Parts: sequence; C-alpha cells; structure tokens
Amino acid sequence: MSRQTVLQSLPLARNLRGRRFQALALALVLVIAALVVPSLPVTRTGVAVLAVVDITGSMNVRDYAADGRPASRLETAKAALRRLVTDLPCGSRVALALFTERKPFLLFEPVEVCAAFAPLDGALAALDWRMAWEGDSRISAGLYRAVEMAAGLGTDLLFVSDGQETPPLPAGQVPHFEGEPGAVRGLIVGVGAYGLSPIPKFDDRGRESGFYAETDVQQENRFGPPPADAESRAGYNPRNAPFGAAAAQGSEHLSSVREGHLKQLATVTGLAYAHLDGPGGLDRPLIVAATPRPLPGRIDPRPALGALALALVLGVLLAGPLRGLARRITPLTPTHRLRFRKA
Amino acid sequence: MTVGSLGVASPAWLWLLPLALLPLVATGRRRVRVPAVAAAPADAPSRWIARLLRGAGVVAIGGLVVALSGPYGAGAPVTRIGIGAQISMLIDRSGSMNETFAGRQPSGAEESKAAASRRLLADFVGARAHDLFAVTAFSTAPMLVMPMTDRHAAVRAAIAAIDRPGLDYTNVARGLAMALSQFAPESSGSRVLLFISDGAAVIDPRVQDALRAAFAKLHPNLYWLFLRTKGSPSIHDRPAGEDTPQAAPERHLDLFFKSLGVPYRAFEAEGPQAVADAIAQIAALERNPIPYTEPRPRRDLTGFAYALAGLGLFLLVLAALAESDLFAGSARSRASREQRLDPDLRRAA
Repeated sequence: MSRQTVLQSLPLARNLRGRRFQALALALVLVIAALVVPSLPVTRTGVAVLAVVDITGSMNVRDYAADGRPASRLETAKAALRRLVTDLPCGSRVALALFTERKPFLLFEPVEVCAAFAPLDGALAALDWRMAWEGDSRISAGLYRAVEMAAGLGTDLLFVSDGQETPPLPAGQVPHFEGEPGAVRGLIVGVGAYGLSPIPKFDDRGRESGFYAETDVQQENRFGPPPADAESRAGYNPRNAPFGAAAAQGSEHLSSVREGHLKQLATVTGLAYAHLDGPGGLDRPLIVAATPRPLPGRIDPRPALGALALALVLGVLLAGPLRGLARRITPLTPTHRLRFRKA
Repeated sequence: MTVGSLGVASPAWLWLLPLALLPLVATGRRRVRVPAVAAAPADAPSRWIARLLRGAGVVAIGGLVVALSGPYGAGAPVTRIGIGAQISMLIDRSGSMNETFAGRQPSGAEESKAAASRRLLADFVGARAHDLFAVTAFSTAPMLVMPMTDRHAAVRAAIAAIDRPGLDYTNVARGLAMALSQFAPESSGSRVLLFISDGAAVIDPRVQDALRAAFAKLHPNLYWLFLRTKGSPSIHDRPAGEDTPQAAPERHLDLFFKSLGVPYRAFEAEGPQAVADAIAQIAALERNPIPYTEPRPRRDLTGFAYALAGLGLFLLVLAALAESDLFAGSARSRASREQRLDPDLRRAA
C-alpha cells in the first residue's frame, strides 16, 4: 500500500479535534514560544534612600539577641541594613551617612545596590561606634539635618536611631522643625527593646569598662530657662539655684527605645515610623514609606510558558489512568463490557 | 546550586524530575479495549515506535522540568594581569578642608580644597580599569568609607561626598592605621597609600611603632598630597624656635614617613593645578602589573532544555495526530496496517 493510502486511512479530522492532540499541540506551541520570545520589559518599583545610622553610645546597648547571644543595637541595625540591601530590587540606590553629635556625616552618595553590592555591604559591615567624632547625641537636630541632606541628594530618608537624646532636651520639648513636613519622605526606625538596659562604657583605648552609672551622665538639661515647675523644687532660688538645689535624678544612664520621642519627630517631619524587631523585615515598611521610583526591569516569560506546557503534558498523560481509576470505582454494566469502547 | 561547572538557578523545580518517568507507566494515547491481546500479532516496528514515543515523553517532561529549574554552565572567574594597583585613599575630612587654598571660605568661582580634590580624584578613579580602590576618611576618628573594591562607580560616589562640611580635628595616626588595614595582605600587586590632607598632627609615640610594623609588613608606596594653605608652614620649613613635632607637625610627619623605609613621595600642592599635576605623576609612577579576576558570565542552558523538550513534544504531537482505531477504520484499510500507527495498542488493550 502506498504512503498516501496510509495517510488517507488516518482519521485526521477526528484527531485534530481530539482533546489530547490539542493539549499536546498547545504545549509544543508554548515551548516554541519559550524558545523565541525575548524577555519582556516591565517597570518595577525601587527606592532611592539615604540611610543615616546612629552610632552614639546608647547604640551599644545589648538588648537584642542573635543566635542566642546578646547583640547590640548597632550590630542588629547593621544586620538589618545589610539584609535590606539584599532585599531591595536591583536599580535601587542607597547612600550611607553616620550620625553622632548633631549632624549626619555622609560617607558616600547613592550607589546602585546590585552593581556595587560588595562595597556597599562591606561599608555597612564596617560601621562602628568608634567612628564617632563626638559623644553627644542630639537626635532631633541630627534628624532635621538628615532630612535636609536627603533633600539635597534627591533621595528618601531612612533614619536608624534609638531616640535617646544626650544631653536630654530642655523640658522634653522637641525643637522646632523649619523644613516642610512631608517634603522628604522616608522612615524613622526605632532601635532597641522597650525595657531599660544599662549602657556599656568604654575607656580611651576603646575597651569596655563597665556600664554608665546614674551620676556619669546628665540627667536633666540645665541650659536655658528653668522649667515651669522650678519654683516648687526644694532649695529653689531664682538667682543661685534656678533648677532647685538637688542634683537631678533620673534614668538617663539606662536606655530603651524612645518610641514616643521618635514618633513625635516622625509626626513633626512627616516621616513614617517603624520599630526594628530583629535583623530583617526592613524592606517592607521602607518601600511603603518611600517614594516609589520606577525602575526599568525585564521579566523572563519562559518559566510561565514552561510550567504551563508541563502541566498540559502531565494532564494528557494522567487523563487516561485517572479516567480508568474512576471507571473502576463506578461499577459497569455487563453490556458495556461486551462492547468495544472507544475512548 | 552547582555541580561541577553546571548549575541551576532554582533547584526546587528538580523535585518534579521523577515525573519524567511517568511516560513509562502511563500512556497519553487513546485506550482501546480489545478482547484479547493475542488478537494483535507481535510486530517489531510497533514495539520500536512504542519505545520511541515513551522516550519522547520522558524527554519532553524531563526537558521541561530541567528548563524550569534554569540550568546554566557556571562561568569560572579568570585571573588576568593588567596594569593597576591597590590604592587605599586616606582623606582628611577636617573642617579646614572646606576652605580655599588661600585659607578663606570659598566664594564665587573659588574652589575649596575638598572640592578640588573631589573633582580631580573623581577623574583619577576609573581612568584605569584594573585599579582597586579603598576610601578611608578621618578627622577626630577614622571612618571606613568604602572597602577595597573594583567597583569604580561606588568609589566615585564616596569621592563625591568628600566636599561636604567636614568635622573637627586632624587625627592622622588612627587614619593611617585604618587605611593600611584596607589592603588585602595576601593579594599580590603593588599597593599605594594615597594620603590627602591639608595639615598634619603629632603621631603618638605609642602608635608610631604599630604603624612602622604595619608599613614594614605591607610595604605600600606612600604618597602624601599635602594641600598647603597659603602662608601656612611647608613640609620643609624648619620652625624658628624649637624643632619639635608639636611646633612643626608637617615637617615631623614628613620625617616620620621618610623613616618608614617604604617608597615615599610628598607632593606639596598650593592650588588645584598643582593637585592635578601631582595626581598625574602618581598615576604615571604606578604602572605595575596587577592580577585581577574577571568573572566569565554564566552560559544559560535553558534554551537547550526547551529545545529538547520541544523535540519530545513534537514526536508526541505527531503520534497524537496519527492515532487511529483498530476497528473504526473504514473498509479501505486493514487492521494490520493501522496497527503500525497505533503502536501502544497492545499495552493499551
């Protein structure tokens, strides 16, 4: 018999209508598409952010835990920032600044997180409290200047601090913010546990030498005019003892995250606030708080096409056995058995 | 995940690989009931076609699973030799760097010392492809700005930040120690310590010995780019009174550097042009070979896997197209003929 007769003998029209043929043909088309379709351009959301890290003494408080050992706030904040750099989509840019005394100190202008990942990660890992040039920690002044710096760089702000002002603010009043609230978007990250912990003390060689005691630190800011309740204090004298005669007492030598203060600063500057619970999870609140920046990205359509093709092939292969199984469960009448069945 | 030089991007998909054995036990072709298997005579071509189609099914599913896992041929990093050096830059960020070379606050077209070094260093970084750079800043305390890296864009971002308002004092010793710690001790290639400052300070005798040891161990070429403000003492000026480090810190820092036993040159720049000349001279001096690693990009093998899966699928599609029934055929063809085209008949029955 010639080839033509064989071809003619095939029920081609019926086969073309068959489900299994259609599924397999579709799978083949999908695989061919996976071979020829280029990656598709998409727009993703990235961030450009200036990260300002508080490296003052209270950041050495060990009130986090890592691998079952106490970890300092600075170590945890560094780990969180390194994780953040890994989690941000490529094309996002990060600048880094230190904060101590009353101003942020810019280490480098924004760099791209994927191309410059190694140096960025290394710079974050190298952050140390020993880089501090002065011991004060005027958080509100530093934050206001950091907002200005971020505006100058054209980025958002990520301000990482425990919120402990040293010296304490006069009468607990937050200084006036001169900028426009909300002009710079971003996030204040509160670092530290909610309970009070002692602050480690270091000698002039940088070795730890115990903890700060109550008399080691300023408990009350006695610059400027005295507070309203000064007259009722013991030993008050308008000229000689305007703050009262007794030494100030308090818990400034202990530290916890000053969430109330940081939230107040966030309200004043129009930033968002989040508490750092551990070395991770900083990317979500930052992306919510930051200005979304469209980044050109590419998406590879091949996994979707391939997965669909695989599902179709498996479906074709398993349809028969599954149907057979179903048939075995439903009892068949003898008449059915005697006939040849065409599936 | 890599095995040898092959790897996959998302290994989790490979858990589905056993599904590729499915075609050996299940057939995707139409099932036809026949009263007895013996009704069909043994037929070698049919058996071969059955094996081929089973193999096609294995290849199709296996290929798809492997393609989904994203296979690649790992690109091993290649070490080559280029011209360049490990350059550790130590940059003074004390407040006086924001003044002009005349010692004033910059006004109009005047350029501060920091702005001039920023502009000139930015050109220096990236002029040669294989230089490695590290940036350390110092004032009262040293600050590690950027570890040793070949990412010149990141180094330029760090250089771009050096003309921002500076900090307090000039504490040279700790800055030098940190800048030295930036060199990778085990790597070969010439090391350059480029120290840029507009002043000097007394180096604590206790630290001097540690610095001497570090210089002797790493043996870097030391360049001091001294941005001299007009009217301030030169490196070579002897003080009128007692010649102590406190009276002439610049001169004594120079003497200390000379006593280190490493190749050392000092450049005294009194204006942006002099800074540019000094940087050009340093670049010309540092023409040593440096080994550098170049990552070869990984080769994406996903296409091969899809092509393989496509081949298997193509055979399956042909088979599905060529299916016919044993007894449904019209009178003009005989069952024996069709049997060949329905190779799984015996099993399906």
